[in-house]
Amino acid sequence: MEGRPLDDLALVERARTGDVNAYEALVQQYQQLAFRVAYQVTGDAADAEDAAQEAFVNAYYALGRFRPGAPFKPWLCRIVANEARNRRMAAHRRTALADRAQRAQASGEAAPSPEAAAEADEFRATLVETLGRLRDDDRLILAYRLFFDFSEADMAEALRVPKGTVKSRLSRALTRLRDALPADFQLSSGGTIGG
Amino acid sequence: MAESRLTNTELERVLRELGTRYAYPPTPNLALAVRRRIVARPVVPVRRVALWRDPRRLALAAAVVLVLTGAAALINPTTRDAIAHFFHVRGVIVSRVSPLPSLSPVTPLNLGRRTTMADAQSAVSFTIGVPTGLGAPDAVYVDNEVPGGEVALAYTPRPGIPLVKQTGLGVLITEFRGDLIPGFLSKEVGPSTTLQETSVNGDPGWWIAGEPHLVFVQVGGTDQQVSLRMAANTLIWEHAGVTYRIESSLSRTDAFRIAAGLP
Repeated sequence: MEGRPLDDLALVERARTGDVNAYEALVQQYQQLAFRVAYQVTGDAADAEDAAQEAFVNAYYALGRFRPGAPFKPWLCRIVANEARNRRMAAHRRTALADRAQRAQASGEAAPSPEAAAEADEFRATLVETLGRLRDDDRLILAYRLFFDFSEADMAEALRVPKGTVKSRLSRALTRLRDALPADFQLSSGGTIGG
Repeated sequence: MAESRLTNTELERVLRELGTRYAYPPTPNLALAVRRRIVARPVVPVRRVALWRDPRRLALAAAVVLVLTGAAALINPTTRDAIAHFFHVRGVIVSRVSPLPSLSPVTPLNLGRRTTMADAQSAVSFTIGVPTGLGAPDAVYVDNEVPGGEVALAYTPRPGIPLVKQTGLGVLITEFRGDLIPGFLSKEVGPSTTLQETSVNGDPGWWIAGEPHLVFVQVGGTDQQVSLRMAANTLIWEHAGVTYRIESSLSRTDAFRIAAGLP
């Protein structure tokens, strides 16, 4: 779902001069990531779509301020996350976030019926629901690293924090996630989340 | 059961697994919609900075955006919230939304710390404007978390200046470096609120009046703090990189009279 950095550089440079086709190629490459990052913040598909679309448009008009040679992906994600926050704030949907995430998780997969699969579903649902209750920065740093496989440099850029603090922030987010999980939450019998 | 809590390493592993199975909704195709919008607003990105420095070009571009946005809304009746974003005054984004989300009319103002005018002046990177018609404010606040600083001048109600229930004040004037923080203020305006493009002391601005509108303030990147409240009649404009905002329940004429004593 992502382009190589070198391709990005060329596309960004072309887009900066007003090449709409080049920018459209960037949108194609990053729309899934943008939508998913936004969804991590909003917990709502329509809001995530609006936020991602708005972010791409705003990013286009902000390309003049984009530092040449810098990675596009984390810069875009920062704009996406901000837009997603705006959407959520405007809609006052913060309290429903965890519920929605849980519902989406529950309805998103047609799980097989065996007991192990049911146990794994419950495990995932609990994890998703707990993630939904974390503060945005914690949920985003976990998602960037463990869902979207960002490098530390990209995480720092996306979160606009010093690179040297990324590891400790990630560790603190993990700790807060663990503290927020139910006391009896543990790995399923197979040692994985199964499914 | 409770004794075998997960370690960070185990938690990382299960989260990685979850990431591969996370039930995201299907990704919509954004490319077409984004293309339509940027083609409809054909500003070459690298020239955008220069555009802000030319009020006449800016006004022309804003007019084009208004026409195109209106046309797009007519063409596509399914256009959702925020069909119009107006980047007219640096530091401010105004959106027309329908319906406007409801919010308690009275929420904390979060103006920063109360201080003296002299201290406020030393804490911000611009010259604070005090409206000659109103004189010295009853209270001065400064917020240093805003790049360049933000100052708020508060005037209590008095004859000719009625109470604004959203602020508990008569007039509230805020000033900040809109050139440093383009998305600092976001305003959402419902269908019953008047939104007029205007010119204040020769600079482009907005007059927002009628039904209270939503305003939220952002600071910083992902560490931003966001405060959200309803606002009364507002005149907002930018001059030389500083964005000025007058909030009151006064008429447009009276608001302009106050603005005349500012840069």
